[in-house]
Amino acid sequence: MMDWYQAMSATKPPPGHFTILYFAAAASYTSKSFDHIAAPLPVTELFKTLEQKYPGMKAKVLESCAVTINLDYVDVEDESDKTIQTGDEVAIIPPVSSG
Amino acid sequence: MSGYSTNSIDSTVARLRQRVQETEAALASLKRDLANAETQAREAHDLSQAYQGGMPLGWQEDVFAALSHTLSNESTGPEPYQSQTADHGVEEAGEEDEEEEEPGDWKWPLRAEEYRRYGRQLIMPEVGLQGQLRLRNAKVLVVGAGGLGCPAAAYLAGAGVGTLGLVDGDTVEISNLHRQVAHSSQRVGMKKVDSAVEYLRGLNPNVNYRCYREHLVPQQALEVFSAYDLVLDCTDHPTSRYLISDACVLAGKPLVSASALRTEGQLIVLNNPPRRPGDTDGGPCYRCVFPKPPPAESVVSCGEGGILGPVVGAMGVLQALEAIKLIARGDHLSTVSDDTPMADSTDGEVPSPKAPTASPPTMLLFSAYSSPQFRSIRMRSRRPNCAACSAQATITPESLTSGSLDYVAFCGVTNPVTLLGQEERITPSDFANLALASPDAVLIDVRDTTQFELCNLPGSINIPWSKFPDVVKQEAVPLGKDVFVVCKLGNDSQMAVKVLQEAGSTGRVRDIKGGFRAWKAEVDPSWPEY
Repeated sequence: MMDWYQAMSATKPPPGHFTILYFAAAASYTSKSFDHIAAPLPVTELFKTLEQKYPGMKAKVLESCAVTINLDYVDVEDESDKTIQTGDEVAIIPPVSSG
Repeated sequence: MSGYSTNSIDSTVARLRQRVQETEAALASLKRDLANAETQAREAHDLSQAYQGGMPLGWQEDVFAALSHTLSNESTGPEPYQSQTADHGVEEAGEEDEEEEEPGDWKWPLRAEEYRRYGRQLIMPEVGLQGQLRLRNAKVLVVGAGGLGCPAAAYLAGAGVGTLGLVDGDTVEISNLHRQVAHSSQRVGMKKVDSAVEYLRGLNPNVNYRCYREHLVPQQALEVFSAYDLVLDCTDHPTSRYLISDACVLAGKPLVSASALRTEGQLIVLNNPPRRPGDTDGGPCYRCVFPKPPPAESVVSCGEGGILGPVVGAMGVLQALEAIKLIARGDHLSTVSDDTPMADSTDGEVPSPKAPTASPPTMLLFSAYSSPQFRSIRMRSRRPNCAACSAQATITPESLTSGSLDYVAFCGVTNPVTLLGQEERITPSDFANLALASPDAVLIDVRDTTQFELCNLPGSINIPWSKFPDVVKQEAVPLGKDVFVVCKLGNDSQMAVKVLQEAGSTGRVRDIKGGFRAWKAEVDPSWPEY
């Protein structure tokens, strides 16, 4: 279980990094609410980078997720020319289906 | 054709296009001026008539009528409040022909009670008379009468939606009550739909309530949806989320979708404006946002993952808000509106509805323990290869209604975990007998610490499954002893046994079959159920 009372608010990324926010199942899988990852990073490399950091995450979480950069939805496959820049805020948004 | 002549034609086209745009802009500006001038002229005319000739004849008649009514009513006084008897046991009950409290010559567009009941929202420009009339004429379907559906339906009923349909096959359980605010302790065991309607009718008896006491199935979804203007997805599983979205696309209905788990929620208005599949002006559907369902084993229900009442409540309230905004604006009226489902006409004819008034879709993320708590994401438009709403759509009214679309298979099925052989497992009753005889054995409880604190067996050691492999790696678990592993349902405990075996445990390692649920059933009825 992650400690929900700590570190739920992402801090500013250090120079040369971007912030990645984890919601729902992504937060459970990483036991974190955010990471700082080195930028620039092509969007197509994002899942690979996360898979290295958290083995198994691609199939178990990422493939069904929505991804945003600076609050804009991005299609990781269709918008493969995009690059994540220093200071960007990326979010991994798994579908939540309960209610 | 030479390069020169192509250039010349291209520039002519560009010039003409620009002139068309300029002329259209000028025309639009002229139309606005004309509308303004007409309004001013009307006001000036009314005003000058008022100055010159006093009240117009019509006004005088109204005033005399009103005065005579007041005089004749004075003897009887105000009418007493009349309680309405609800018509139980009827599928469709509501808007009973109540005793009209208005005089026979009542000439206002809303009834007297409606002016009073909805007064606080009526005076807001966002609703106003037109918005209230649209709400009264609107038919809204709420699928799911749980944590989302209860608050959503309550606010929709309160706002005066004309017809409110509720779909749910479940019955009320006591563990629902911390969040499903339309139910009550007295109604545990009752169908959720009936319990909710009882509450809603107390809130607003003027709404026409329709009850569907079964879970939505593909075979009936289109038929049910076609009777409504707008659908709210308040369900709790990926299968129903894809089904409802597909049916909304095919039936041409906007969809207000929300979900919640633990401390987080999501809200999005989908298929708005609702256009035929292939029309890129239509709003994206659930498949455009989440084309791939999550792996079945990763799907966590509120029963397994937990949920804070106000988190799901907030999402349900926001669903009602989006629905009210959409209806009061009249968005649902600017659809392709025949009563025929849109996909029936496959001739590719472009519909000519009013200009879309819906703003570009956004998804609202709520995270109760984050800062900021709310994030609004700008969504994509329709996905060009979407299986439901694109020109390449494969989902058709026929495939949906025939039941050939297997939503359960699409979303995957979880099989009960059976990792271990018989000799590596022990039933709760055998364990109870054996534990007395083997004081050296270790009992490891792999539930998380929050659950362990709720109730635990004396002498058991708590190593949460999420940390278990690391703890074993650090050699903090004795590998030479006999070990029993237990969890809530008997899944994590099997995986923990595997980890111990792979770490080279020399003692006998077994899991307690069925976890504490089986323990309660077989051994200790006083074990708390949560």
